[in-house]
Amino acid sequence: MRGAVSIKGTREGLTITLEQGEFGALIAELEEHLKTQGAFFRSAKVALQVGDRALDQEQLGQLSELLARSEMTLRTVVTSSADTQRAVNALGLRLLEPTSAEGETASTIPGSDGLEPEDRPAPARPVVTAPAPIIRPGNGQEGSRGTLVRRLVRSGQVIRHTGHVVVIGDVNVGAEIIAGGDIVIWGRLFGTAHAGAMGDDNAVVCALDLTPLQLRIGNHVARPGEEARPTRRSPEVAMVRDDAIVVQLWDTLGRFGV
Amino acid sequence: MPTRVITVTSGKGGVGKTTTTANLGVALAKLGQRVVVIDTDIGLRNLDVVMGLQNRIIYDIVDLVEGRARLRQALIHDRVEQELYLLPAAQSRDKSAVSPADLIQVCTQLRGECDFVLIDSPAGIELGFRNAVAPADEFVLVTTPDYSAIQDVDRVLGILEAEGRIDTRLVVNRIRPELVRRNDMLSVEEIVSRLAIPLLGVVPENEQLLVANARGNPVAHDETSLAGKAYHGMAQRLLGADVPEAQDAPERNGLFAWVRDALRERGGFLARRGTG
Repeated sequence: MRGAVSIKGTREGLTITLEQGEFGALIAELEEHLKTQGAFFRSAKVALQVGDRALDQEQLGQLSELLARSEMTLRTVVTSSADTQRAVNALGLRLLEPTSAEGETASTIPGSDGLEPEDRPAPARPVVTAPAPIIRPGNGQEGSRGTLVRRLVRSGQVIRHTGHVVVIGDVNVGAEIIAGGDIVIWGRLFGTAHAGAMGDDNAVVCALDLTPLQLRIGNHVARPGEEARPTRRSPEVAMVRDDAIVVQLWDTLGRFGV
Repeated sequence: MPTRVITVTSGKGGVGKTTTTANLGVALAKLGQRVVVIDTDIGLRNLDVVMGLQNRIIYDIVDLVEGRARLRQALIHDRVEQELYLLPAAQSRDKSAVSPADLIQVCTQLRGECDFVLIDSPAGIELGFRNAVAPADEFVLVTTPDYSAIQDVDRVLGILEAEGRIDTRLVVNRIRPELVRRNDMLSVEEIVSRLAIPLLGVVPENEQLLVANARGNPVAHDETSLAGKAYHGMAQRLLGADVPEAQDAPERNGLFAWVRDALRERGGFLARRGTG
């Protein structure tokens, strides 16, 4: 069973919602989410939404421990169940009553230096330049939230956001941009970029000079830097096609949009 | 004019921090500046060797901060330059023997007593680096054309900028023009474009430098040598003079014509920074 666990970025950090279903299965699904996206969520503070589900102390402890293994902190539990509320209080967590106006604003998750995800997705085929562009209409990301970074992103610096990330400036080798949505670099991308970091294969990475150390989209990985490249580059867009990351010249795409 | 405290650092080891510190010290002293150079590479001291002063050490920086010596006792007078002094590192201790606060304290004592304090930083971004950068007003970042050295300077710049310390300049060492021309080495222009800080100077790969370091006789003592000229250009630029790199790399040496172009580029770059 899938879809019983959802994870969203909020102003305070992350909200994880557990829908109906057997507890063991929910735990397994959450574990699966964290395995593929754990690197992105690292160091986040979590609010857990459990609706009217009755959870005891042991079950809440189990959830907290699971999150802690991905270096996330369970801070808050949102529940209307009296049993769960008792367990929350016993564990000293913050308790919230469910409200209809639960914020869904994407926000920057505080970055941590030296991110080194243990759970890297399996490397996909290396980047190839696709011959003919396959143009689709917008990927449904229009209008969702993003953040603008207007500076040179240097080695060791990490920009993390649950929405889109736009950088005006170069992204140097050793720097990382991790976005839940698309990544647009008005500059040269030499570092590492991960678009669709919460598993969205429709995300794209655009740069004026797209020569990253490593590129990830959704669960795909490419290492474009391994073959010799010409010194002068033109703007390009990277996207997932046929289960591999491909890079296309903006010239061939620009008229249609990505 | 108030004392300027400048830390020479790089992240990566072996790119020429100590050589740069020694030669900038000599070149500034030759221009009539009163200079103190400090070696903060405690446990792996080298600056005394490069300056040829290792046999004159009696007290070191650890003796100073632990109260066994006064500042005047710990400062070693240069063999040649009247206004150049070395505060050596200790060889028998490690980086934890002094703290950032100790370095700030030492520099507070030196402020007003001299024109320049040049601090030679150890490699890395740990405690030794923290000690070295703590008291500084300005920074000279040293790199070679290696990707690893450039990336480390980039990392150090990120750390400094995060603390609002943006008075930084770049020295590029070990440039080999023939490799740059064959596209086997990054050009100065490309390095400056990636690191996005003003260029202080360029030192071509140079046998003289190796010999000079081994003999403990910094090349800057000889203002006519190629590398000596490069350091004198840097010293003049530190004092605010608009010295073109062309002067460091004379016309008769066609190999270095490209350096002029890089520096012309630098002029434009600085101008853009100034207005931006």
